[in-house]
Amino acid sequence: MKRQTRKVLDRSFTGLGFFSIFFLAASLVVVLAPIFARGINAFIFKGTSEFRRLNYEEFGRGDKQKLAEEMDKIRLYREPLARMLKDFTRQVRDESFPGSTQYAGDVKVLNDLFKMLLGPGESEPVMMRARYGQTRWDGAQKVLQSILYKEEWDYSKAGKMGKKILKPRSEIYKGTSLEKFFPEMEKNLDKLLLPRLTFYWQFLTDSSRDSHFFGGIGAEVLGTFYLVLLTMVFAIPLGVIAAIYLAEFAHQGKIVSLLRVFISTLSGVPSIVFGLFGLAFFINTVKVSQSKSVLAGSLTLALVVLPTIIRAAEEAIKAVPNAYKEAALSLGASKFRTVMSIILPSALPGILTGIVISMGRAAGETAPIIFTAAVSVGKPLTLIETLTQPSPALSWNIYNLVTEHEAVEQIRHVQFGMVFTLVLLVLVLNLGAILLRARIAKKLRG
Amino acid sequence: MDRKRPEKKSILIGKGANRLRRFLNFLAESSLFIATSVSMLAVLFIILFIARDALPFFKLRGIGEFFTSIHWFPAGHPPEFGALAIIFGSLVVTVCSALLAVPLAIFSAVSLSDILPFSVRQVVKPVVEIIAAIPSVAYGFFALVVFAPLLQRSGGHLLGLGIWLVGLPVSLVTSYIAGGLLADKLRPNPPAWLRLGLIAILEVVFIVLIYRLYTAVDKIQIPSGTNAFNVSVILAIMSLPTIVSVAEDALQAVGREMREGSYALGATRAETVTKVVIPAARSGIIAAIILGVMRALGETMVVWMASGNAAQVPQPWYNIFAPIRTLTATIAGDMGEADQVTGSARYHVLFAMALFLLIFSFISNLVSEWILFRSRKKWGQ
Repeated sequence: MKRQTRKVLDRSFTGLGFFSIFFLAASLVVVLAPIFARGINAFIFKGTSEFRRLNYEEFGRGDKQKLAEEMDKIRLYREPLARMLKDFTRQVRDESFPGSTQYAGDVKVLNDLFKMLLGPGESEPVMMRARYGQTRWDGAQKVLQSILYKEEWDYSKAGKMGKKILKPRSEIYKGTSLEKFFPEMEKNLDKLLLPRLTFYWQFLTDSSRDSHFFGGIGAEVLGTFYLVLLTMVFAIPLGVIAAIYLAEFAHQGKIVSLLRVFISTLSGVPSIVFGLFGLAFFINTVKVSQSKSVLAGSLTLALVVLPTIIRAAEEAIKAVPNAYKEAALSLGASKFRTVMSIILPSALPGILTGIVISMGRAAGETAPIIFTAAVSVGKPLTLIETLTQPSPALSWNIYNLVTEHEAVEQIRHVQFGMVFTLVLLVLVLNLGAILLRARIAKKLRG
Repeated sequence: MDRKRPEKKSILIGKGANRLRRFLNFLAESSLFIATSVSMLAVLFIILFIARDALPFFKLRGIGEFFTSIHWFPAGHPPEFGALAIIFGSLVVTVCSALLAVPLAIFSAVSLSDILPFSVRQVVKPVVEIIAAIPSVAYGFFALVVFAPLLQRSGGHLLGLGIWLVGLPVSLVTSYIAGGLLADKLRPNPPAWLRLGLIAILEVVFIVLIYRLYTAVDKIQIPSGTNAFNVSVILAIMSLPTIVSVAEDALQAVGREMREGSYALGATRAETVTKVVIPAARSGIIAAIILGVMRALGETMVVWMASGNAAQVPQPWYNIFAPIRTLTATIAGDMGEADQVTGSARYHVLFAMALFLLIFSFISNLVSEWILFRSRKKWGQ
């Protein structure tokens, strides 16, 4: 081959290398960008007057006086529109009215949409989600669109999928008393709902209302916190002790290499199998609790993260310079004393790195807690209750809300907020670990 | 001051005290050993308990149906427990994700070990770690809520874009090299115009070919965004970090001497990597691939959320845009409906699936562990 060709081959090889690294980073960005962009939307958004009413009535936040003033201001705009719709509905009910049959069905839809947008008015519905209108401005605009345009499906082309057609309602109702209703709605929507930029940090602590239609993700955050806490209570002592034994005490022989093989095997077990094992062992056999509980889930998760902690701690202990150990031993300290007062403190940052990473892992794992700890709906628990009761958790409820919720589309912001919270939590933990490791590396370099 | 007292105490220890100390040491060490063997016990118990609940299924229904039938109707009358379609689904997803992930991961590992400057490497490594750290349910969420609608809406365009993105650079390099070689063949000392002309002709041919491929792919309509392809792409991303980090360790372990020897003989970097470093690190790379593939096979949340969960062999079988179902997703999804108190076949079949997965993962883990052990021995670590 010519030198020129070899050079080109070499260059393109280098290019391919850069390209793959670029691709790696790009895939991370592609996954994280929508989660971050839309997740923040759960915390910072334009809240409507309905949001402030909900916040006052359900969570006792806000000023009663101000709210009343706001409601008065809104009423000025709402009442004429409501009256217009009410009058027309009455007209349509009367069968002598010329367009009665034509409009009867659609007017009912219109009334429902109107209530969905602005709240029920005077009546007191039983379902909580019907008690408030749109709390978020983006939701309100969507509902407005479906008020302004009627959705129709065109099936005229045989053999093809139906085509959606949006028909403006102002045309449908042309010539009736409701004709003016639609332009009014469009023009005055902001005066009807008074959107204001809101920073709803309580999303993290509020419990949800009416299966996540309103409120926040407090119960899930707390559940994840408990799961991580209890998992660490079990996993840290076991993992660190195992690491100390493997690094300092064990005579490197067949038994130790067998132990190592088992540890790496444990880390290779599929996570769903851990879940089944937790169900079959901790709940059905040992009976740590009657049925699912945070305790059973944490025990299962502890097994999941154990290899990570052992490996990280062992590496850290092995990285402690031998001179430290020898100095301690030569001063007459026993082996235990040496481990406890010399080796562990110097290995602490490295051990912490492993712990922090496995905390992130425990928070994010879903499959092991499906059968052992997680429920879809639940109240926030106290620490004692975690021993016997299941809890919602971020990871499980993300799954649950996107696949099993009755109105998946309407609570997108909650789903994204939840994923955002979980990912952010894991990222912060991991960045902490990375920084910690960088500091250790710096220290070791001198 | 009196110097004698401390000497007396610290050096002369009574025989009894010595024995006590040794006994205490032994006690402590054995308790450490017991704490360490928790991992071993856990593995043994996992096998034991999964097998204990799996065996009743084979007693009730025999082994044949599970592995040969594709009819999965656990709630039917009479119920049918053919898991072949589900096993096939698991395999399809695993193989496809490996096809996507392995080349990318190995190139990334090579980049990290041989190409990138040190400062860039320090940035890329955390990126790899973060890809590994993102919870699987977040990937599943992305697959279901962001990626699946995108595929459904404009899957064909997306694939077409991918073809241009990969095809264009590959065709440029290929035509440049092939053009040069062809020119050398035609004339011993080719003038520049001949070479450039040949390169241009070849490139035009390539572009026409790519364009035809693109128009064919662009027309593809994906009926459902939750399918095997979606899951494979996401699983590929998820198994990248495992493969990259293990493979990079293997490449690093080859050592400077081998590389320097190769460079000294006049080899370029590409030649050094492909002909010296990768062959030397082959076993480690294989272990990395096995570990990465296992991660994809054992993954639950992504496939449960975004694979469509249809227990079928797609028509035709290589149609990767059809919804499928995997073992892990079946275990996760059916457990809620299975009656765990009376322990019906419906309950035990899920444990049989878990046992199948478990045995698979154990074998591949042991194989990769053995390969790594051997290569470590070879490089004297």
